[in-house]
Amino acid sequence: MFNMKFSMFSGTRELEQKIDEMHDKVLESSLYFKEAFEIYLKEKRSQNYRRASKKIKNIEAKADDLRREIESRLYIHNLIPDLRADVLQLVENIDKVINEFDEVAHKFYIEQPEIPEKYQAKFRTLVTQVCECAENMVICSRAFFRDFATVRDYSRKVYFAEHESDKTWASLKQDVFDSDMELAHKIQLSSLIGEVADVADKAEDCVDAVLIFTIKRDI
Amino acid sequence: MDLSYLFFLSSGLFLGWSLGANDAANIFGTAVGSKMVRFRTIAAVAAIFVVLGAVLGGAGASETLETLGAVNALAGAFMVALSAALAVYFILRMGITVSTSQAIVGAIIGWNLYAGKETDYETLAQIFATWTICPLLSGIVAIVLYFICKKIIKCCGMHLLRLDQLTRVGLVVSAAVGAYALGANNIANVVGVFVPSSPFKPLNLGSVYTLSSVQVLFLLGALSVAAGIMTYSKKVIMKLGNNLMRMSPMLALIVVLSQAIVLLLFSSVTLHYWLENHNLPALPLVPVSSTQAVIGAIIGIGLAKGGRNIDWHTIGKIVTGWITAPLLAMIICFISLFFLANVFNQTVYLQ
Repeated sequence: MFNMKFSMFSGTRELEQKIDEMHDKVLESSLYFKEAFEIYLKEKRSQNYRRASKKIKNIEAKADDLRREIESRLYIHNLIPDLRADVLQLVENIDKVINEFDEVAHKFYIEQPEIPEKYQAKFRTLVTQVCECAENMVICSRAFFRDFATVRDYSRKVYFAEHESDKTWASLKQDVFDSDMELAHKIQLSSLIGEVADVADKAEDCVDAVLIFTIKRDI
Repeated sequence: MDLSYLFFLSSGLFLGWSLGANDAANIFGTAVGSKMVRFRTIAAVAAIFVVLGAVLGGAGASETLETLGAVNALAGAFMVALSAALAVYFILRMGITVSTSQAIVGAIIGWNLYAGKETDYETLAQIFATWTICPLLSGIVAIVLYFICKKIIKCCGMHLLRLDQLTRVGLVVSAAVGAYALGANNIANVVGVFVPSSPFKPLNLGSVYTLSSVQVLFLLGALSVAAGIMTYSKKVIMKLGNNLMRMSPMLALIVVLSQAIVLLLFSSVTLHYWLENHNLPALPLVPVSSTQAVIGAIIGIGLAKGGRNIDWHTIGKIVTGWITAPLLAMIICFISLFFLANVFNQTVYLQ
């Protein structure tokens, strides 16, 4: 009986692990992004920041490998044929969030924008909000695989966090353009603020798709 | 054995082949359509179990058909089966799943009318009643299973991928049970009318089991059903598709299980006597339509989900097919018997 059970699920167990790992990567990239941003505010492009940014880059590379493995395994083992396209899209959406974290962290490293002290608190709030959004997206997406009932609850949290981040983004952008900084500086900061806020947008897109998949899968 | 018997039996075998092609879509159509299971695997399982069901449990429903009209001449039986098969074939070509059970009943009544034999109205009423009870019962079973499954899924929190694997196994098992039930219940439609004129001798399968002459006839019929499943059911599945309601694999499993349970209830002699012995209302042993059972189950689930997803237009078309099939079979049978008797000089009934 044990052997039968084992062989019946052996194809899926590894894939379950890979999908779980993929979710873990979002959480890791979110945590490292927050850490990297704090380092940047204090030290700008230091060795510490370089290390933190590198960690996010490694996570992103590992997530890409995981995505490819999940995709091929889904096809090799012919798993969830009716939902395969949905799961693949979900994994790709998750990967986009990780990519966005990596891109923003790298952009800070390359562009080394000067963030005036009076905007740092708001910038920090924006980063916290987008990270919260991504973290709730992870819980929502995990729930799609195990517990449909809670998908809706966490999707509300993501929508709320995204809405809040939008407000912070708008207010911060306005502050930047109302300031006496040079136009080039304003545009550079505005572009970075937009990119940070994009993480929340990508998480929201992912949750939108999860909700549709849940309706399709719900018996 | 007279070779002419085999010739006349060919119409029954043709009907068996159409039943296999048509009803396999009910048993595992969604499983194949949703690519959960490979066609060849599930068709082989269904073919084996349909033969087992027919040989081991086909007697009960067959007796009821004999009561309705004991087609006592071989040529008559040939035409009854052929008319039913033609009616099924014509309606199937219009893209509507159709009931062989209803077609054969219509054809038998056509024979009764031609031969001037009185139709046993009590049995006929019983059969008509089951045509209503069967989809109704199937719908109720499906609703109960739907809520049980929903509760279990909610409580156990199983990973989507594991649930999917279990559903896959469930689909194969329920296809096996469904095929067994189909064989037991519907073999009467295929060769039931040939039972009174069966020339087969009992067949010894070593010292293990002896097939009675009727069981040998059922085995032959069941092999034609299996051939229908293996050769043509894929085309029917692809043509008819899943157009009544969009179904997840889990819902497909519930539909197949409900249908199998209901078909078993209408064909299990053991259960029938057990209920009677305990003074409980027993369901009559009547060949019921697996198509009706499936439609009943789909409507049941659709209603349990709020009734928004059901394509009532397609269901209307199918129900029209349920009325058309017996009428068409009856008319074809009546006219063809006339030609068979008067043009080909065949004895189509004995006084």
